[in-house]
Amino acid sequence: MSTITKHVTIEDPIGLHARPAGQIVKLVKESGLTVRMGKAGEELVLANSPLRMMALKAKTGEQLVVEVDTDDQGVADALFAQIQEFLKG
Amino acid sequence: MALANGAILTGLGVGLNAVRAEVFRVKPQAALPGPAKHLGDAVGEKETLKGAIHHVASYLDELSIKAGETSAEIFEALKMLLEDEDLFETAVAEIESGWNAATAFIVAVDSLDEIFAGDAAFEERLVDLKDLAKRVAAHIAGVHMGLDLPTSGAFVIVGDDFSPADTAQFTDAVVGVVTIKGGPTSHTAIICRSKSIPAVVSCTQAVDLVDGMSVLVDPVGDRVVVGGDDSMATKAISFVAKSFEPIVPVRANIGSLEDSVQAAATAANGVGLFRTELLYLSEKTMPSAEKQARSYAEILKAAPEGPIVVRTIDAGSDKPVPFLDMPHEENPALGIRGFRLIQDHRQFLIDQLTSLEVARKETGREVWVMAPMIATASEAIEFAEMARSCGEYKVGIMVETPAIAMALQDLAGKLDFISVGTNDLSQYLFAADRMNAGLGALLNPWQPALVRMLQVIASESEKAGISSGVCGESASDPAFAVVLAGLGFKSVSASRSQVGAVRSALSAVTLEQAQQVAKVALSATTADQCKAAVLDALAAIA
Repeated sequence: MSTITKHVTIEDPIGLHARPAGQIVKLVKESGLTVRMGKAGEELVLANSPLRMMALKAKTGEQLVVEVDTDDQGVADALFAQIQEFLKG
Repeated sequence: MALANGAILTGLGVGLNAVRAEVFRVKPQAALPGPAKHLGDAVGEKETLKGAIHHVASYLDELSIKAGETSAEIFEALKMLLEDEDLFETAVAEIESGWNAATAFIVAVDSLDEIFAGDAAFEERLVDLKDLAKRVAAHIAGVHMGLDLPTSGAFVIVGDDFSPADTAQFTDAVVGVVTIKGGPTSHTAIICRSKSIPAVVSCTQAVDLVDGMSVLVDPVGDRVVVGGDDSMATKAISFVAKSFEPIVPVRANIGSLEDSVQAAATAANGVGLFRTELLYLSEKTMPSAEKQARSYAEILKAAPEGPIVVRTIDAGSDKPVPFLDMPHEENPALGIRGFRLIQDHRQFLIDQLTSLEVARKETGREVWVMAPMIATASEAIEFAEMARSCGEYKVGIMVETPAIAMALQDLAGKLDFISVGTNDLSQYLFAADRMNAGLGALLNPWQPALVRMLQVIASESEKAGISSGVCGESASDPAFAVVLAGLGFKSVSASRSQVGAVRSALSAVTLEQAQQVAKVALSATTADQCKAAVLDALAAIA
């Protein structure tokens, strides 16, 4: 299986807080996909724990790398779009 | 100190009817066991922890349903944190190092302090999460954390103050309520008034009431009588209507279609306050113009005959609209709320006014619109221009800030009406947080400074040729409503359940008599004296 990567930007004025972190984890769990997120150049973490996501301490305006293990570009794009939507606040 | 039969505990009464029943003291929290090691069964402890987390998660689901959709997202986010896999793994590591399930979970949650130090957005959640961790520990220890109210019989429940989570648990067995703290505009008071449960709030001596005592809750007398019987209940002044019509119109306060339908069953002359935020607080995304217009049309159609005063959205960071961006604020009551939302959400206000106009045309009702949280004449004028460009409305503002009360003279010819929100006016006049249970006495509407401020507002409006009304909780008190009419207000708007009582009072006096009563109120120097003197004066008339 290949890995598809994309950058998303945190637009939420309070950063990556509990609600978007929770929404992302819920989405990831429902999708059954393996998704990793993190800051560029740092180790990525599995996006299956809201607390772990919040511990990234990503602030407004920062970019995050999202990696998803899938061969289906369409599935990945839909996931990225949803995640970006959650980060709008 | 033990209370003898006949002891009188004073507080602030809510409601017009007295009730006698047995005291049910809401238990102070039982202590949780301290940190402890387990007996070697790590696997069993993990199972225990998993079960307890699951139990608390379903409790959150219940709360979420009871609290309504407004808070559902908060509960959902909390539940995800509670069930977080990382958190569970951290707790498991503690169990493996010997701590029992309850201790391990509390330690795991406490470890988040370090990770999230200085993260303001997370600190609030962390407080909630720590509370949940205690609930997990309580479940494991078999300690109950709910109010545990009786479901049958008849009881007067006594406690410090009751939060929305608490009042949501009130059963039919709750026939009276006494709180040690809290004021006349506290959540407890508002719920009891709307459910017609007799209550006395801000009753400090109630601390000595114990289970099984029989008490008389006497809201009209602002007191609780230990061992008292119904014959000791202070009679509300029985107003005998002398005319068919009250001296000023009595309107009803509504917030939903259900309210509107029920208000139409009262003798209310139109609606004096239609709170629109309820239509939006439960929406995840912005409702379309058509949907808004449809909701407004239904409510306008059902409303009691007469004008309908619609207040544009009154939300803030403490009461956020899910689809509008409302960042956390240190002091939400003093922050970006009400009309101030125009800074970032002008289009939302315009959409609200244009949808309402569609509904106005469709139903043919007379609609007045007003904006909340106005502090300057220029804000008032900006709103008036915006509202007139959106529809054929009578246009006004809420008077809640002392600042706008001092600027009414600048609004001559600009506004058709004003409506005073006495709850917020008290909060801002006395610098006393409405949510602070310890400040109830300052929020008492009989405070002389509030009465005098109301006089200034009524007379300044009159001079400026602007019609004035009052839609705060204080207008639901029949005696206070007479004072308001005497001060020169041209209408009052009361809670649905109080419309009849307020109408009777205002039909039992002449305008001249009401003016005499208002004079009595204006000469008082304390809240207690003000109320007592007004009741005496009314008793002499009615």
